[in-house]
Amino acid sequence: MDPFLTSRIVTDVLGGLTNGVIFGMVALSLVLIWRSTGVLNFAQGAMPMFATYVGFALLSYHFGYWACVVACVIVGLLIGGLTERLLVRGLYGKPEINPIVVMVGFLIVLEAVAAAIWSSFPRSLPTPFSFKDWQLAGKPLALSPFTVYEIVTALIVMTAVAVLFRFTKLGLQLRASAVAPEVSRLLGVRVGRLLTLGWMLSTVVGVITTILVASNLFQGLTPTVMDGIFAYGFIAAAIGGLESPVGAIVAGVLLGIINQFVTDYVNQNAVIIIALVLLIVSLMIRPSGVFTKRSERRV
Amino acid sequence: MITIDDLTVSFGAVQALRGVSFVAETGRITAVLGANGAGKTTLLRTISGLKEPKSGTITMDERSLVHKRTEDIARLGIGHVPEGRGVIGEFTVEENLRLGAMMAKVNLQQGLDEQYEQFPVLGERRKQHAAKLSGGERQMLAMARALIAKPSVLLLDEPSLGLAPLVTAQLMHTIHSLCETSDLTVILVEQNASSALRIAHHAVVLHVGKVVANDAASVVAADENLRQYYLGLVE
Amino acid sequence: MKRDWTRRRAPLALAVAVVVSVVAVVAVVSATTTREGVALSIAIDLAIACVTTLSQPDLKSSHPVVSRAALTLLGLDVAIFITFFLNSSTNFNLATGAAMSIVLLGLSFLTGASGQISLGNGAFMGVGAFAMAIWSNHHATTPIFLTLLIAVGCGALVGLLLGLPATRLRGPYLAGMTLAFAVAFTFILSSFSSWTGGDSGLQLPTEASAPRWLDGFFHAGTSPLTTTTLYITDVAIIVAGVAFFFMANLFASRTGRAMRLIRDNDVAAELVGISLPRARVVAFIVSSAYAALGGALLTLINNSVSPATYSFALSVTILSLIVIGGIGTISGAVIGGIIYAFSTNVISWITTQTGLNPQGNFASQLNGIIFGGLLILTMLFAPLGISGAVRHLWSRVRARTQG
Repeated sequence: MDPFLTSRIVTDVLGGLTNGVIFGMVALSLVLIWRSTGVLNFAQGAMPMFATYVGFALLSYHFGYWACVVACVIVGLLIGGLTERLLVRGLYGKPEINPIVVMVGFLIVLEAVAAAIWSSFPRSLPTPFSFKDWQLAGKPLALSPFTVYEIVTALIVMTAVAVLFRFTKLGLQLRASAVAPEVSRLLGVRVGRLLTLGWMLSTVVGVITTILVASNLFQGLTPTVMDGIFAYGFIAAAIGGLESPVGAIVAGVLLGIINQFVTDYVNQNAVIIIALVLLIVSLMIRPSGVFTKRSERRV
Repeated sequence: MITIDDLTVSFGAVQALRGVSFVAETGRITAVLGANGAGKTTLLRTISGLKEPKSGTITMDERSLVHKRTEDIARLGIGHVPEGRGVIGEFTVEENLRLGAMMAKVNLQQGLDEQYEQFPVLGERRKQHAAKLSGGERQMLAMARALIAKPSVLLLDEPSLGLAPLVTAQLMHTIHSLCETSDLTVILVEQNASSALRIAHHAVVLHVGKVVANDAASVVAADENLRQYYLGLVE
Repeated sequence: MKRDWTRRRAPLALAVAVVVSVVAVVAVVSATTTREGVALSIAIDLAIACVTTLSQPDLKSSHPVVSRAALTLLGLDVAIFITFFLNSSTNFNLATGAAMSIVLLGLSFLTGASGQISLGNGAFMGVGAFAMAIWSNHHATTPIFLTLLIAVGCGALVGLLLGLPATRLRGPYLAGMTLAFAVAFTFILSSFSSWTGGDSGLQLPTEASAPRWLDGFFHAGTSPLTTTTLYITDVAIIVAGVAFFFMANLFASRTGRAMRLIRDNDVAAELVGISLPRARVVAFIVSSAYAALGGALLTLINNSVSPATYSFALSVTILSLIVIGGIGTISGAVIGGIIYAFSTNVISWITTQTGLNPQGNFASQLNGIIFGGLLILTMLFAPLGISGAVRHLWSRVRARTQG
């Protein structure tokens, strides 16, 4: 068993899984916002990045890691809510290009402001978990306390979101507002507030993702830390189908694993190229995503 | 009681409603009739706040409804079953009903039980996705969803649309008995004038956005001119 | 009889005028006079030719193509004339602006005329830029204009490859696909580093300079750099003029009208028999071809090409510029080009005026803050850009004076 677990294939799978859950979470937040407000949020990586900077700025006041995480989440809620109210509100019903362009502009501004205030130099975040891979019969297993922390956190987040949407009153209202906003309003649902809430939720998922990514020893927090991950997260969301949260997560995990294998067996450069090819192929097969149901929306 | 006074609604240059005035009495069924494009749906949507009127007033028991948000108007006790029913296909029957009960201060389980009793078919299919229901069943679901919140006013937009005559008759009977047993104010918009007039107490006839008749249902039903020109009834 | 004569007059007049100007140019150049004098006489000749043509009554409706040609020639005439009197750094900026405006024109057509979006035009620029550099390095004797055409061809080919899957995609998916391409482009360049020169890029084998028979015209005792810059600037302006001429005709043609119909109401377009996928691919190819042309031109202007230039950030800058200038308009592309040409100057001016430390964090990010901010504000408050806002104001002024 041991030789198998430390074999190249399993190592790649485990490594890919760790990255994959990150892509899955980004894809999930993109799908959340797309389903609830019909906007593709290009600033999905930049908004949480900014919240993370603000939250961890508290480190200089001697707050601990977990306190900073809480602060990041709160700032994330604020940023998500304010963005929806101020930027996105005015764009409902306008041509599809408009919100895309605004969010791209927002992405640039956020990254520029973050770099202006805190510089582009990578900052390390004090992580309470060790990065050292565990050893199995003398060979490294591609898991460390930190990667387990990543995977477990991701699973908790995804489960929480799923539970929220399927089993709670709030989830029912969120789903209704996304699918049938006018009918929901006729039933007294405060659709406006729920849209704002959708953005806040999505940003919080993003904040947790960013903290996990930036906490990585070899990464650190920079203004552009989420750029590449956003690209892969988007590709995963598009392949899985922007309508399907489950599809997004599955596609994200698979993409992470594929990426790992490509890095290992081909080279670093090929990764994004292969991902692009996968994207094009899947969009040619099913332009609205692989996991979307074909059925009609409303009766 | 809903009072509409001199209501004018326009879409750009087109006037959908012009100087419309009538009263829908509490506990009574008021039928709103007229041909396609007469402005009937616009009237209901304006009452519900989905459309802002250009001028005029809409009051419910001394309270103005104009310039309020749709969700707030709904929470005041106005249940609107829109054109096409608006049943959410991806949700189950029960989820649709839960959604309807959300804003009201009613006990969910009690409400569900009452609606399942009123519409047994819904009870049988409670876990099914609403997309799988037939037209008549969807109409029942849409009404149950509106009724579960115990509204004081019920706005029905062409409930008989696409339904077989037998189902329509049952539907009208249900609406009538609902009105009898509670103090529900019903505004019933229908193209199917004869079935509506059979259960209505009062009738308003619209023609190209204007009120051309506003009288007791029996009077409107008996009027030869009205029947020929506005209701398309053949003697 | 009279009507026939008038109808044939316009192209004839233009042809005669151009012939006269060319003869005058040749005569004047062969005699040695000052550079400025030569420029002045050519400019005046050509201007007279164009104005004569344009003054024909109803030219725009009877011979729209001729009218546009005359207008373009007049514009080029004035622009080139001016370049002779500017210093070389301004000329350099103008050349860069001209190249960028070609790219913007392509994107303007794609978004405005056919309603699609692309976040990858920076990469298409890169395709043209590297095509020009690679070809020149292997075939140094090919004339410039031919190499430019080859670069355009490469751009069009890549545009076809990406445009085919793009036909079936809605807005956000298309945006994402072009984003992925833009990001992947840098890595594609790295993968073929033996061809693309790796991180440091490529240099052109010889500096682009005026051919022998025009050399006397551009050279007048000034430094070689000024001469080359002047020549390149004029080349850029001419190429831009030709590109704009073609685009103006495309906008007005059946293809252009078909595309606008698709943008506004694709169901109606299909009913009329327009093939949606084909029109979309055509728009994509046009936009990528134009982007490649702009990129190739930039390589010419800078005499080199480096991969770092053609990043995703460039694609975003391009999008910002055309949004600010005005999507779907030709004037928007011009405005965007001008902004790009002088933005570095403006930003350093702002830095000095506000007393910011030019080496500091804030100053280096000012570019991003201003462009991103302008992008957001424009999209929220003036989605039709400067061009659209001016047009709107103009129609309001006209309504008030007429009403």
